[in-house]
Amino acid sequence: MLNIIARNRVIMLVLVMAVACLALGFAAPGYLSAATASVILSNSLVLLLISLGTMLVILTRNIDVSSGSILGLSAATLGLSLNAGVSLPLAIALCILTGIVAGAVNGLLVAYLRIPSIVATLGTLGLYRGIMLIQTGGRWIEDLPQDLKALAGSIGFGISILTVTVLALFAIAWIFLRRTRFGRYFYAVGDNRDAAHHLGVPVRRVQFTAFVASGACAAIAGLIFAAQIGFIPNQAGNGIELKAIAVNVLGGVSLLGGSGSVAGVFTAAIFLTSIDSALVFLKIPAFWNDFIAGAILLIVLLLDGRIRLLIDRRIRARRYAVHARAPHSAESPGSHDKSLQADQTLHADKTLLAEASR
Amino acid sequence: MTADMAAGRAAQLTGIWKSYGPVPVLKGVSLALRQGEVHALLGGNGAGKSTLMKIMSGLVPANAGSIEINGEKLTHASPALAQQLGLYLVPQEAHILGNQSVLENICLGLRPSPRALRRRVEQLIAELSVTLDLDAQAATLEIAERQIVEILRGLIREARVLILDEPTSALTPFEVHALFQRVGKLQAQGVGIFFISHKLREIREICGTISVLRDGAVVLSGPLDGYSDAEIIDAMSRVATGATPIAAAKSGREDGAVRLSVRKLSGEGFRDISLEVRAGEVLGLAGVVGAGRTEFSETLFGLRRQSGGTVTLDGVELSNRSPRRCIDAGLVYLPEDRQQNGLFLDAPLYWNTSSYLIHRLPFLLRPGRERGLFNGFRQSMGIKCTGPGQAAKALSGGNQQKVLMSKCLSAKPKVLVLDEPTRGVDVAARNDIYALIRRLAADGVAVILISSDFDEIELLADRVTVMAFGQLGGELTDKISVDAIARLAFGAGEQAHA
Repeated sequence: MLNIIARNRVIMLVLVMAVACLALGFAAPGYLSAATASVILSNSLVLLLISLGTMLVILTRNIDVSSGSILGLSAATLGLSLNAGVSLPLAIALCILTGIVAGAVNGLLVAYLRIPSIVATLGTLGLYRGIMLIQTGGRWIEDLPQDLKALAGSIGFGISILTVTVLALFAIAWIFLRRTRFGRYFYAVGDNRDAAHHLGVPVRRVQFTAFVASGACAAIAGLIFAAQIGFIPNQAGNGIELKAIAVNVLGGVSLLGGSGSVAGVFTAAIFLTSIDSALVFLKIPAFWNDFIAGAILLIVLLLDGRIRLLIDRRIRARRYAVHARAPHSAESPGSHDKSLQADQTLHADKTLLAEASR
Repeated sequence: MTADMAAGRAAQLTGIWKSYGPVPVLKGVSLALRQGEVHALLGGNGAGKSTLMKIMSGLVPANAGSIEINGEKLTHASPALAQQLGLYLVPQEAHILGNQSVLENICLGLRPSPRALRRRVEQLIAELSVTLDLDAQAATLEIAERQIVEILRGLIREARVLILDEPTSALTPFEVHALFQRVGKLQAQGVGIFFISHKLREIREICGTISVLRDGAVVLSGPLDGYSDAEIIDAMSRVATGATPIAAAKSGREDGAVRLSVRKLSGEGFRDISLEVRAGEVLGLAGVVGAGRTEFSETLFGLRRQSGGTVTLDGVELSNRSPRRCIDAGLVYLPEDRQQNGLFLDAPLYWNTSSYLIHRLPFLLRPGRERGLFNGFRQSMGIKCTGPGQAAKALSGGNQQKVLMSKCLSAKPKVLVLDEPTRGVDVAARNDIYALIRRLAADGVAVILISSDFDEIELLADRVTVMAFGQLGGELTDKISVDAIARLAFGAGEQAHA
């Protein structure tokens, strides 16, 4: 039972979201419309991508807090080269290349130079933001060409080419993590690094790849940011890395690595963004946003922590049950032993449930 | 090397050296494994078996020596390469990916997808006559099932060289039987197998060749039929060469008052342990790894929850024990793993010595006094260091252990529980520690000495309690000998698993 709740975070989130949306629909007529859905989706594109990249890193039991800075740096690269007269496709390629290089530096520091990821990416968080400021001379980049902004325009049903790109990237990530051997390695490395190493998984290459992918995602997010807003401020992407980590946690990605799904991240990012728009409809002042998002996150985390604790204890109880039943198994191996063990496990479960509900 | 010689040889280790820091663990070990051979590998704790197997499977690099698997050299330490050459190590502690399914755990790293391999895995499971839910989450598996997952990993990889590190320690007799049949089949197919075990009966059942490691060197090697059980145990446990033997002067005091009395204590990993220690007595608590000694002592010291029983110190019951309550009552524990649980490695030495007392010190600490306390111990124990401000991690193993001892002594214990006090300690420091234990006993401290080094127990203990499989295995009051202890520690184990 506990396992089912713990595992199906997506279902839980979707249910909560559906109930919340229906309630809103009654409270504020006009909320439930295709237009609202379209706005929420396009508002969440940047967060979706940053969260996806961060997820790949967290899966391998690392963390990337530099993705906001990579977003800013790549967006600045894009803006500066466009304003210098570079063609749009080439500028986009440069932007993504910037993200890949920045991610590769992170990967090098963590996977090969063995610097703890939190320290390494805290360092590059400052470094990349600094490079961006030096590049731009501290000025905002304005007057971006019209063909960039046109990317954010609708191509039908309120969907832009950017939305299609993000959805495609999520589909690719889903297939990669679910259906490929290398994708499975991401989970293995984060789950138990020693075990992965023991089984011949290229642990460092996996960690490196995760950071590169995160950098690339952040760069594309930078492109979307620039196209949607139409200019690039100094602080573009500032603080979004923390929001992305929150999305991951809310979406059921374990910060200890090794578990989490693309679907969970997708749902959680949409969920957090829709809170913003819901508050607008409920005419709650916008400065309540962070408070409410934080409160929801804490509640989910608290529940999650309790469930995990219970599962851990249960595993521990089972583990030592081996010793507890040793004298019995010597006398009567076989079916009697199995039922005894089942009894004990059941008993252990009940005790734990009682403890948790206290 | 001629072609037919190479064909008959599954693995060849030549002159393997390995040291961790200044302590050599392996001193030029050479071993050969023929195809179709089941080769038993024995040795006490710290003899270097595990390190040797880790080097062979590419997990740890060797300092010197060469490894050949199926005639090809293991050029660098890489588990992926070792597996490519056809070697798989089934470790003692299963490596489990808790979040993945059992099937994924077994097939991870293999080229065909888990789905494609499913039938093959099911077939192997049937052959081993075990039950295993392939779709269950691996974190929910019991120890025995985890072990089976590891064995299946080795089998599905169709390794030509298989290392089984105590594969039967968590299996039921039925499963052991099925595993041995499988091993027999592999043998017929020409697979070479290293079989590590403490159980002589099992070794006799399936192994043809035996090698015994002691202190990082091969001390006995050859066909198993050529050696009696006594010869093998003797080779394993003989006092290390080069160690200056200490005169076995025991305190011999049996008239002291009972200090600590443990009645039917049960907890995680052990049950119904009763024992008494008198003032001025050294009680040896012996047993092999996994017998529950550490769990017992950690429960005694309040680090783990007990599930039953009572502990009485000087006639007063110690209920609801926590480490601090135990320290205040005079019951002090020296943990087994000094790097993990014993020392603050980055902190200065004098912080370490006063760390058991820190809750009794005034709010504003007096570093001068703390240094004084440390300097006292430094003199009386002969701790070699540059000064009280040196970081603990800079010291050698023996000196670290002395610092740990002084930390325990600073709390002025009435009962001192020493868990493997000489692990990874060189001979000279070992003798210092032995002398110190004697001196403490002479001063009226009741000492419980936990050790898997039976020589050490024979040397120091006035009385011995043996634990096996989480229970009392027996007691020795006079005629304490390594043989007698080993018989209780291993023999009782075989009874429980028969």
